[in-house]
Amino acid sequence: MAEICCEAAAAAAGSDQKGECAGSRAARRRRMEIRRLRVVAEEASAKRRRLEADEEDAVGGRAPRYGVTSVCGRRRDMEDAVTARPEFINGHHFFGVFDGHGCSHVATSCGERMHQIVAEEATAAAGSSVSDETARWRGVMEKSYARMDAEAVVSRETAGPAPTCRCEMQLPKCDHVGSTAVVAVVGPRHLVVANCGDSRAVLSSGGATIPLSADHKPDRPDELERIHAAGGRVIFWDGARVFGMLAMSRAIGDSYLKPFVISDPEVLVVERKDGEDEFLILASDGLWDVVSNEVACKVVRTCLRNRAPRGGRERSSPTSNLSPRQSSASGGSSSSGDEEAGGPSGDGAGSESDGESAEDRACAEAAILLTKLALARQSADNVSVVVINLRRRPRS
Amino acid sequence: MPYTAPRPSPQQHSRVLSGGGAKAASHGASCAAVPAEVARHHEHAARAGQCCSAVVQAIAAPVGAVWSVVRRFDRPQAYKHFIRSCRLVGGGDVAVGSVREVRVVSGLPATSSRERLEILDDERRVLSFRVVGGEHRLANYRSVTTVHEAGAGAGTGTVVVESYVVDVPHGNTADETRVFVDTIVRCNLQSLARTAERLA
Repeated sequence: MAEICCEAAAAAAGSDQKGECAGSRAARRRRMEIRRLRVVAEEASAKRRRLEADEEDAVGGRAPRYGVTSVCGRRRDMEDAVTARPEFINGHHFFGVFDGHGCSHVATSCGERMHQIVAEEATAAAGSSVSDETARWRGVMEKSYARMDAEAVVSRETAGPAPTCRCEMQLPKCDHVGSTAVVAVVGPRHLVVANCGDSRAVLSSGGATIPLSADHKPDRPDELERIHAAGGRVIFWDGARVFGMLAMSRAIGDSYLKPFVISDPEVLVVERKDGEDEFLILASDGLWDVVSNEVACKVVRTCLRNRAPRGGRERSSPTSNLSPRQSSASGGSSSSGDEEAGGPSGDGAGSESDGESAEDRACAEAAILLTKLALARQSADNVSVVVINLRRRPRS
Repeated sequence: MPYTAPRPSPQQHSRVLSGGGAKAASHGASCAAVPAEVARHHEHAARAGQCCSAVVQAIAAPVGAVWSVVRRFDRPQAYKHFIRSCRLVGGGDVAVGSVREVRVVSGLPATSSRERLEILDDERRVLSFRVVGGEHRLANYRSVTTVHEAGAGAGTGTVVVESYVVDVPHGNTADETRVFVDTIVRCNLQSLARTAERLA
């Protein structure tokens, strides 16, 4: 029997009347300042406006609702890690799935550090002169993955072995351990997805299923070409593997297979489309190996639709007959040390609170249902799922 | 892409040359430092459908320190990082004929391996095991590891030679099999070097 850990995001703290009024005045003042600055220095004002606009959205906006599950499944050990960090930088929210192999400590390090590294790099890049949002985020992610990969090599020396880490204590280096890393940053205007390995990010927008990452399999034609050009070999040994060993062509860690297995992420920056974007799914291959993108999106869409706030009488939910071992809760904490989520429970008017609570549960239920589907379809791996509702919440 | 079984490879002999040997080994590996009396352990008669190879590793540590790690048939994970755990079948002490059950770390195309100790010679520093079961594709694998002083004079370093013979699995070529196994053996010997150098 699989142990299922699950938690839902808490609603952001509701602003009271006084705060709302103050925020509104501050926003007006900022808009006036922005207009004046426009004639003084075009470039400087453009940069400042971008930051001000982000802050403005942050003041009025709220963290997106999301649900997380991460289960051991039929594997003997849990080597996945999942991170959810709403508001990890102003107006931006971080989500990551890290599927470890060889041992758990590289994925654990990614879960603990990747969002901090991305925050540092994004803050540093915000002051740069790069005006193209796509190029800026691409640079942030490439630097972040390189730093995370470098940290993976020394992570055991600095932090010591994690409780679940089985590597021998005295060994200074574990070059045979690695992890996938699929990361999403949800900003006020953009979605940024960076991927390294064979976990995956899938967007549902306007009813369409849109992959935002491409799996790094060794027999993907461009990856095969890159590996061969570097002098490596891809051998079909229970699937295509680098030197017959590793079933993915990019990973954090795995020093013994460098320079053939690299940690460079593929980065995609897409503009958010209000009214069309529905949700984003991040998951490990424990899900995607047995559930197609389309089926996963259909499952989530059904969960979210049946939980629409003030939608009248609620229809029977696809999860209504399921009994997860651990119930989801707004602001609840997970029993898995690898999951991190924050945020206090929201307070507000009764009816709004009910609606928000129902929507928070919908994401959690969607994640649970996807996990159960993967286990029912005999997934042989750890399964980790993050479901992020992209519909913006109205300002209170 | 279809993978058809290759025609059986011709019979080959693997030989690790002792000092002054004139003929090059078919697998290309050679090591002049291997004494004649243990070089014979690295001579594998590879049948049709099998392949063999050898990997050599220099280690900057005394030969005794290296051998003390290699000889632990019951604790291969001390230097073989792809092994997660090891258990002697039936308990008891290590002796020729002992069988160990090895569990492999995740992410690799194997789950477990059952291995029988064939040779444990502390005088000549020879260890050999045969794979007799497990979940993997390396049927009839037999390995020999020997540990030697490098060059003249004690304390100048150590050379380890590991050679093996194994069936070529259905769907793969002999070359692919050698590339795969050599990668594992090379990683093991490199981590052996790091382990022994830290012990010394």
